[in-house]
Amino acid sequence: MIPTVLADDEVLARQKLRQLLRDEPEIDVVGEGMTAAETIDLVRVTKPQLLFLDIQMPGMDGFDLAAELCSSKTCPPPHIIFTTAHDQYALRAFEIHALDYLLKPFTRERLSSAVERARKEILLGNQQSGGNTTARNGSHFTNRIVFKSRGRIVFLPVSDIRWIGAEENYVRISTQNETHLLRETMARLEEKLNPEMFLRIHRSSIVNLQHVKEVRTETDGEYAVVLLNGEKLAMSRGYRSRITGWLTHN
Amino acid sequence: MLGLLFGLQDWVHVHSWNKHTVITFKLLMGAWGVQYLLLGAICWLLWWRLGKYVQNASLLTMATVVLPISLAVGVLEEMIWVMLFPQLPLGPHMTYWQRVAFELDAELADSVVLFWTIFFLLRGIGYYQLYREKEYVALQLQTQIANAQLRALRMQLNPHFLFNTMNSISSLMQTDIAAADKMLEQLSSLLRITLERGEVQLIPLSDEMEFIEMYLAMQDRRFTGRVRQEIFVEPDLHDALIPAMLLQPVIENAYTHGLCKLERDGRIVVDIRRQNESLAISVVNSGLGLHPVPTNGSQHRGVGLANVKDRLRLHYGRDQAFTIEEQEQGKVRVTLRLPLQFAENSTGKLTGYGV
Repeated sequence: MIPTVLADDEVLARQKLRQLLRDEPEIDVVGEGMTAAETIDLVRVTKPQLLFLDIQMPGMDGFDLAAELCSSKTCPPPHIIFTTAHDQYALRAFEIHALDYLLKPFTRERLSSAVERARKEILLGNQQSGGNTTARNGSHFTNRIVFKSRGRIVFLPVSDIRWIGAEENYVRISTQNETHLLRETMARLEEKLNPEMFLRIHRSSIVNLQHVKEVRTETDGEYAVVLLNGEKLAMSRGYRSRITGWLTHN
Repeated sequence: MLGLLFGLQDWVHVHSWNKHTVITFKLLMGAWGVQYLLLGAICWLLWWRLGKYVQNASLLTMATVVLPISLAVGVLEEMIWVMLFPQLPLGPHMTYWQRVAFELDAELADSVVLFWTIFFLLRGIGYYQLYREKEYVALQLQTQIANAQLRALRMQLNPHFLFNTMNSISSLMQTDIAAADKMLEQLSSLLRITLERGEVQLIPLSDEMEFIEMYLAMQDRRFTGRVRQEIFVEPDLHDALIPAMLLQPVIENAYTHGLCKLERDGRIVVDIRRQNESLAISVVNSGLGLHPVPTNGSQHRGVGLANVKDRLRLHYGRDQAFTIEEQEQGKVRVTLRLPLQFAENSTGKLTGYGV
């Protein structure tokens, strides 16, 4: 069970969270805070692992509250999922390592995906006996990307990316269920991604090796990378040895 | 400048008359320079303090007020000048007042003529400025009117779509809470995007298509898989500028007048590509053609499309096209063509990397 605290100054907002979280077997709501001060006290007493936090609350805002919790050295601060009607704080939330950013109103599915992410993260944290999450991969490669897509804020773990395709000044990121168009260059993205996980297979595509099923030689002699979900991506010859090398090792 | 030229003339003059005078070039230059500097300063003061007055003075005030002022200014200027250059003019020693009288005799007419020249010059400049101002205001007014029209047209689109969606949510609330919830979230996202855009008229195609994808996702929910949706956008057109909310009414039209009449196997294709220097947008939907069996209350048909036409015309004048045609098997194709433009600098959208 994950001990969880809800912080929101609106009673209906807390009610919605409480009701939806009732159906999440892992979550145990141990307290609800109406103000920032109340929430800080609550967190110190109950030591939750997860905190659903509104940004605009009486007293101090969600970021000040998060900073306050991090500065107290007595207990590790809880993981934070922000719930807010405003999308302009997303980058700040991302930078202070919030787990997720739910824009109100959110659906049950959206909340479930956030809870699932929290579950994984807390499990991982427990295995490393509460080690610092920021030093986890110990490299300068990015673990997740934040962007806005179709009116939502997405904190996308790079492991969820299947492949990335170039579209002139944009890149299209394909995940299991959807695609996102980002204003970004392939070169910059390739630089950010861990090469042990992502491989450039073509001038206009990068693939997540975890989602690769096989490399196939087409009838016309060209190469193609086939993903686990059956999607097929063209591959340049020059990259072939790198990917076959990786496939035989794994 | 003028003073220095006069000085030069005078110097040449004096030398050709009398080779032995001890008037130095420098002194003459200085004297003339100061004379016109003084005049210039007075005129400048006049313009600065009384600019409006110069502009509005009638003939009568010119005669009764400006004329005496011009004489007074002439006299005053000569008096100051004489005080500054006691060694001029040469010849028998004179008292201050004699010298003033001498100079007035020689220069007053010049000074007054110069004063009036400057007076009318300033008046001319004033008229020109007024004219420019009027022109600018007219231009601004024109843009404002066009913008107001565009705003009004955009406002007509949103509520229509907004309340229809609200009605769908209201209906879903009775039967399928989760679906109603999903639709509310989608509507919120659409509203968030729309509000964020604010008054901006032209937006990158990628933004408009993001909106369209969301809109199509909502329609898909309402039509529960009865319609297959296909979108194609040429990658180098993501940054092309198009009027905000231009496509939504076209797609809404495809649903309300075509696709909703089909029991199954509906299909809508949005295709956007470059055609020379134009952006060509085509929306093809299956349905019952352009002239289906008339049903009651279908008078609203085409209001949304008329808006689209108007907005294209307001934005691009004659440099655009809008066509609607029936194809085989009841398919309807709407085509928009507008000039290809790209944003000067693309908006820095939120993207961040981290752990």
